[in-house]
Amino acid sequence: MLDTNRMTDLDKTDVLQGTLALMILTTLDAMGPMHGYGLARRIEQMSDHAIALNQGTLYPALVRLEQQGWIRGKWGTSDNNRRAKFYGLTSLGRRQLESEATRWLRIAGIVERFLGPVRGRS
Amino acid sequence: MTRWRILWARVAEFVRSGPVDRDLRDELDAHLDLATDDYIRRGIPASEARRLARRDFGGESGLEHTREAMRDRRGLRGLDTVLQDVRYAGRLLRKTPGFTIAAVATLALGLGANVAIFSLVNGVLLRPLPYPQPDRLVTIWESVSNPKDGPTRIAVAPANFVDYVARTRSFAAMAGVARLGRNLAGVGTPERLIGDEVTEGYFATLGVAPFLGRSFVADDYAEGANQVVILFQDLWQRRFGGDPALVGRSITLDDRPYRVVGIMPKGVTGLTFQDEMDPPGLVTPAVFPADILSNRQDHEIRVAARLRPGVPVDAARDEMASLSAAMAAEFPGAKNTTTGLEALGADQAREVRPLLVALVAAVGLVLLVAAVNVASLLVVRSNARRREIAVRFAMGATRARVMRELMTQSVVLAILGLGAGLVFGIWAKDLLVALAPPSLPHLDAIRLDGRVLVATSAAAALTCLVFGSLPAWQVSRTRPVDALRASERTVSASWVRRSRSLLVTAEVALSMLLLVGAGLMVRSLIELNRRDLGFDPAPVVAATVGLPPARYRTPDARLAFFEALATRVASLPGVEKVAFASRFPLRGGWTSGFLLEPVSGPIEEAFQQAGFQAVSPGYFATLGIPLRAGRLLEAGDREGNLPVAVVSEEFSRAILGGANPIGRTFSRGPSAPIITIVGVVGDIRRGGRATPVDAQVYLPAAQTSLYPARLSEIAVRTNRDAGALASAIPAEVWAIDGGQPVTNVRSLAETLELGLAERYFQTFLFLLFAGLALALALVGVYGVMAYIVSQRAREIGLRMALGADHGRILRWVVGQMAWLVTAGTLSGLGAGLLLSRSITQLLFGVTPSDPASYVAAAAMLVASALAASYLAARRAIRIDPVSALR
Repeated sequence: MLDTNRMTDLDKTDVLQGTLALMILTTLDAMGPMHGYGLARRIEQMSDHAIALNQGTLYPALVRLEQQGWIRGKWGTSDNNRRAKFYGLTSLGRRQLESEATRWLRIAGIVERFLGPVRGRS
Repeated sequence: MTRWRILWARVAEFVRSGPVDRDLRDELDAHLDLATDDYIRRGIPASEARRLARRDFGGESGLEHTREAMRDRRGLRGLDTVLQDVRYAGRLLRKTPGFTIAAVATLALGLGANVAIFSLVNGVLLRPLPYPQPDRLVTIWESVSNPKDGPTRIAVAPANFVDYVARTRSFAAMAGVARLGRNLAGVGTPERLIGDEVTEGYFATLGVAPFLGRSFVADDYAEGANQVVILFQDLWQRRFGGDPALVGRSITLDDRPYRVVGIMPKGVTGLTFQDEMDPPGLVTPAVFPADILSNRQDHEIRVAARLRPGVPVDAARDEMASLSAAMAAEFPGAKNTTTGLEALGADQAREVRPLLVALVAAVGLVLLVAAVNVASLLVVRSNARRREIAVRFAMGATRARVMRELMTQSVVLAILGLGAGLVFGIWAKDLLVALAPPSLPHLDAIRLDGRVLVATSAAAALTCLVFGSLPAWQVSRTRPVDALRASERTVSASWVRRSRSLLVTAEVALSMLLLVGAGLMVRSLIELNRRDLGFDPAPVVAATVGLPPARYRTPDARLAFFEALATRVASLPGVEKVAFASRFPLRGGWTSGFLLEPVSGPIEEAFQQAGFQAVSPGYFATLGIPLRAGRLLEAGDREGNLPVAVVSEEFSRAILGGANPIGRTFSRGPSAPIITIVGVVGDIRRGGRATPVDAQVYLPAAQTSLYPARLSEIAVRTNRDAGALASAIPAEVWAIDGGQPVTNVRSLAETLELGLAERYFQTFLFLLFAGLALALALVGVYGVMAYIVSQRAREIGLRMALGADHGRILRWVVGQMAWLVTAGTLSGLGAGLLLSRSITQLLFGVTPSDPASYVAAAAMLVASALAASYLAARRAIRIDPVSALR
């Protein structure tokens, strides 16, 4: 029982992980260095709150991206004078974003072509 | 690429794991603070804002989850848990020193035995030949077929060898080697050494040239050329102190000067073939006289060859086979001769291979029994931890995590066992080398090297898998809910009993297998020792005196030397009888063809074979060979009188079909003297107990024209200790001729022992391994019996309370074990019948299914197993019914 539950949990996160990474990279590209809380809020806003992001999932994703060398975290001070860790895109991350975005758009285009007739029927 | 970057980042994080932990905690705190600020800015009271910030994160569990997820991502989380598991396993093992010591000692015993046997196999079987590309070297031999013994391997005729060199294409080089004893005189005490005569292809075959001086050149092989010699490193160092100036100087071999033209480099020994133990000290060019090169019946050289690059062994063998078929058609004299070809390294190890393979199997079985024993201990142990493990499941530990922890414990045990096993193994290996018969090749090369370490570690890993998987499997089938229930105790107890019973049955079966092997070896030894030699080796001391042909040119000169020596030796204290001969039994000997009169049909087909020795009249009395009919050889049987011979009983049976041989005549060839048989003596096994009885012909040593075999040995029958004579005989030799090396001075009984040493060695090892396995199995039987008794304490108490007497209880308890032991013994017996065929080559005089060995092994096993379970069961009857039932 326990094991099965865990398994599906993991599956969900894994699916999310790829898109979440792309969202983080895009946001950082557009907004410049941000801290985790700001990123969470920004992603919620951008998605019109369609993604009620479990804020917990953001941080492991950040760790991953930093290990991949696509973003780099640095401690700094926030607008309201709080110490926070700010993440910025690295040049490697910027290149990665370009190729990821292209790939994503291509896939989205393909999927849309498939979905077109379905929509037309309904 | 990315994967490497992540790994690198993780390693870096692992190295500074302290700050990273704090870093991620701070980061989450900052997040909460920022979120709280946001809520406050929207007009929510501070305490409520804090709560909402935490809620957005999924509450305390969400925070913990995130922290855990980040920690998992960060650093070497896997290594962390491994270290944690190792530390935990170490703590558990320290807490139960009794269990740990028992398990580690058991494993060390099994692995140590493996270390010793692996070292032996590594040194003897896997050692490469000391030449470049050793796998390209092959040996070629010839075989003759006779109806009685089938094909027999013999040396190669030089006349054929010349054709093999000229008419084959598979070989880059081919070397013919004739082994000679050489007397080295002139520096220090005279010494008898092995000096091979070699053909021109020798050094090309080795693939190594002298490092000082030169190889032999074509001129060295011309008849009448200067005598030249090339020394191997060992002899050069030992006798000449490694003096480089020796090259170009002369040394004295067999009373003739030989010029040293080269020294072979260190580590390169001369070629040895199958049954040759020692490499030569030096080599000289082989010059074959014309009469040898025209006689295809004269088999006297060994042949090695280096394959041309890219030519497989099988292709070379096929080429040799078709060549020898072609030659058989061309030369009628060679019609019975075929050739064989084998990789040289494999061929050298051919004799010992079956023994070593059997030893590896035996020692593997011992290790398996050890592993099963440890498995049995672990099953009890992991069962005792069942509740703890169930609680861990309930707390959310995954099954994989718990199994990994249990496996870690097994691995830690295996590593401890491996360490202890290596220490024990080094000692056991030295013991093994000390006990090993000198006939095992390359004993000096037996040492613990990387290969042995790898093999032993692999064995330890396999062992670990055997004993570690059972407890892990036990956990894998545990349902957390059940484990926590009280009733589970009895269920798991029966599971433990069942698995331990199965394990003990396996142990008994494996021990049975080894006991059967040992039993067959012991039976072989008994059979062998029961065989009659036909002579009495115990009181006879023999010595070899290799008279150099240069000084003792004629047979009469050699006869005169030995007659003088016999007279002197006869007067030594303690000497009862003295004799000299071409060879004494157990020390080699000659076989010759002869023509029984009257000859009918074509002469080539009339030749028959028998052992031929030239002997002095005292030969039979010295060896204790009885006279059966006619007369023995006498002092009067000398040159000029009637040529006579004495034959063995087997000669009458095999050659004459049982007819009386006395008065019959034969010759050694169409133009040789006619010899009359005057007596019949008892049969002997010339080569020792394991050899068959062959027809023997004894010719008088004093009738020197009858037989060219050189007189070279003297023997005495003594009533004293052999040791005194061993030094007295050489002294008498040197009193006559100071330059003569005297070799191989020992009693025939000692030679007999040496010949049997390998058999004793293998029997000893099999007994040892069977004993080890049996001891381990008995420990297992005792442990399981004790476990059954402790589990059944209530039942036993109840039965006793109901009036069952002690005998009944004992029978009932031991009876349970008797089933397991019987099952194990029977499966071992069945496996023995199947597998013992593979050691047929190691047996003598018994079949692999010899009933006596099986019955003895089974009886011993059942008796000792029942004794062990009785000892454990005695505790059962000491159970106090009242306390057991409470």
